[in-house]
Amino acid sequence: MSDLMPNLPNQTPNYYTPETNSEASFHPERPIKYKPVNESVKVYVWELPVRIFHWVNMLAIILLMITGVYIGKPFASASIPEEAYYSNLMGWMRYIHFFAAFLFTVNLLFRLYWVFKGNKFSTSNPLRWVFWKEVFQTIKFYLFLKNKKPHYIGHNPLAQLSYWIFIGLGSWIVMLTGFYMYTEPQHASFWGKLFSWVPYIFGGDSYTIRSWHHLAAWGFMLFTLIHVYMAFRDDYLERNGSISSMLTGYKVEPKKLVGGKDEK
Amino acid sequence: MKRQKTVYEAAIDHGFTRRDFLKMCTALAATLGLEYTQSDKVVKAMETNTRVPVIWMQFQDCTGCSESFIRSSQPKTESVLLDMISLEYSEVLSAPSGFQVESSMEQVYKDYKGEYIIAVEGSIPDDDSFLSVGGKSAKDTFIKMAEGAKAIIAYGSCSSWGGVAAAYPNPTGAKPITAHVKNTPVILVPGCPPIAEVMTGVIAYIITFGKFPELDHLGRPTSFYRHRIHDKCNRRAYFDAGLFVENFDDEGAKQGYCLYKVGCKGPTTYNSCAEMRWNGGVSYPIQSGNPCIGCSEKGFWDNGPFFERRAKIPGTQTTINPDEVGLAALGLTAAGIAVHAAGTVVKKKKDDKRGEEE
Repeated sequence: MSDLMPNLPNQTPNYYTPETNSEASFHPERPIKYKPVNESVKVYVWELPVRIFHWVNMLAIILLMITGVYIGKPFASASIPEEAYYSNLMGWMRYIHFFAAFLFTVNLLFRLYWVFKGNKFSTSNPLRWVFWKEVFQTIKFYLFLKNKKPHYIGHNPLAQLSYWIFIGLGSWIVMLTGFYMYTEPQHASFWGKLFSWVPYIFGGDSYTIRSWHHLAAWGFMLFTLIHVYMAFRDDYLERNGSISSMLTGYKVEPKKLVGGKDEK
Repeated sequence: MKRQKTVYEAAIDHGFTRRDFLKMCTALAATLGLEYTQSDKVVKAMETNTRVPVIWMQFQDCTGCSESFIRSSQPKTESVLLDMISLEYSEVLSAPSGFQVESSMEQVYKDYKGEYIIAVEGSIPDDDSFLSVGGKSAKDTFIKMAEGAKAIIAYGSCSSWGGVAAAYPNPTGAKPITAHVKNTPVILVPGCPPIAEVMTGVIAYIITFGKFPELDHLGRPTSFYRHRIHDKCNRRAYFDAGLFVENFDDEGAKQGYCLYKVGCKGPTTYNSCAEMRWNGGVSYPIQSGNPCIGCSEKGFWDNGPFFERRAKIPGTQTTINPDEVGLAALGLTAAGIAVHAAGTVVKKKKDDKRGEEE
């Protein structure tokens, strides 16, 4: 860790004089701390389609969660009482939920395609022994234990594993059970028949399928919480621009990680 | 094999006119979900089909299904019992009892093997000591009779899914009748009890056409179990509007709002209560202000409190509310993250300090 975060030298930059601008002339007795970035490179990690997927996915999940919680337990009633005619609160919630569900699905199918099309950071292979060895090291790293976790440009193996569980498995549970419930009023229709096999894997009755949908949704909530925390934590520890890389695609990494040689 | 009277002959014998008979057939066609133009098919079937011998067996039940059956308005129970079928054995309706009635079951087995239909009410326990009828193991009797039957109708949730007796912890080891049937076709007519008109309608269809109506993936007739209560509910508009009963004594309950929040299982229940209704189409639970308890669904006793809407953790009892578990897990995770974040900052500060010293 210490080689990545060297003691910052106190230097006054020589390319400006205190008179240059308001910032430079501001508190000259408090010098700027910086470190040279010559040994670093900007790595193009997240390709544009991956970034678009990520934010569309976030939007869809937020919409799905808010409307989903309402559908499961309507926490607010329509403001106009007595007549059902005047409001359509649950109707709108369901409409948005279904809209976001389709967005989520199409987005995920596109991402699945990009697994094959994209760069190496857009895919993962858990069927390698080294993957699991490094998962173990990463767990030790997160438990503040002594570890041999290498630095990764993309996702660490534990993060990859969590995507396998939550995106690879969780979203399929949520999508299949969701689409089954969506087509429940019309089993005999084309779309109904498309999902008619879902009960066989999730245990028969509508109630159980609905329960799986709930459980997977809670899984997503847990995942979101941990995922966001981990992202900010990584940015804080590594100072490599994890957060901004989700928008720009670039991360600042030591040159040696991309195969370049240290010039020192 | 003895020759049975045709349904038409039986009806004429019972003093009905041909006109009455035709009326009955038309009404029956409507109940079966056929078009008016197809009622001649029903007439033809009734004129040529002989009355089918039926054995009504009761196992771990409450006789509720029989009680429902005898209240059918269309087709009328008496026209089913007297004209369409020949009820050879029934613990509730048979006039004889004891050896006499038990021997008539034997007689049917001998005379009409491969021809008779069994209607079953109630679940079958694994342990014979919980259930024997006429001194014989009910399970053995059923297995023997089922082999010789043309078809089996499972009336009610107990015979279809195990029902009340199979509810956790299932002390008798109750199983649905399908667990003991090998090659005989079974049609499930679940419900606790099923709607009377559905019960008579199913048997009328089988007798009219000599085959089962179209069945869904669980073996229920699609004509009666195709729709969710929720999708046909008379209170559905209040659901979409977001107007819910919060308590049974609030204004919403008086106004007839949606019962979703007081535990209505309509959204996960397949039955035709909302269309056929009960007691000759008078009303049904939701219309009367009580949430649906989902009585026609598999394991409905274990699907949570009747007056609370919740999901379950598959494989567990619904005494655990997954939404509460989820919320608790979320809270714990948030607390864990706070601790972990604090640890991360402390560790980083320590590492940085060590870096400075080196």
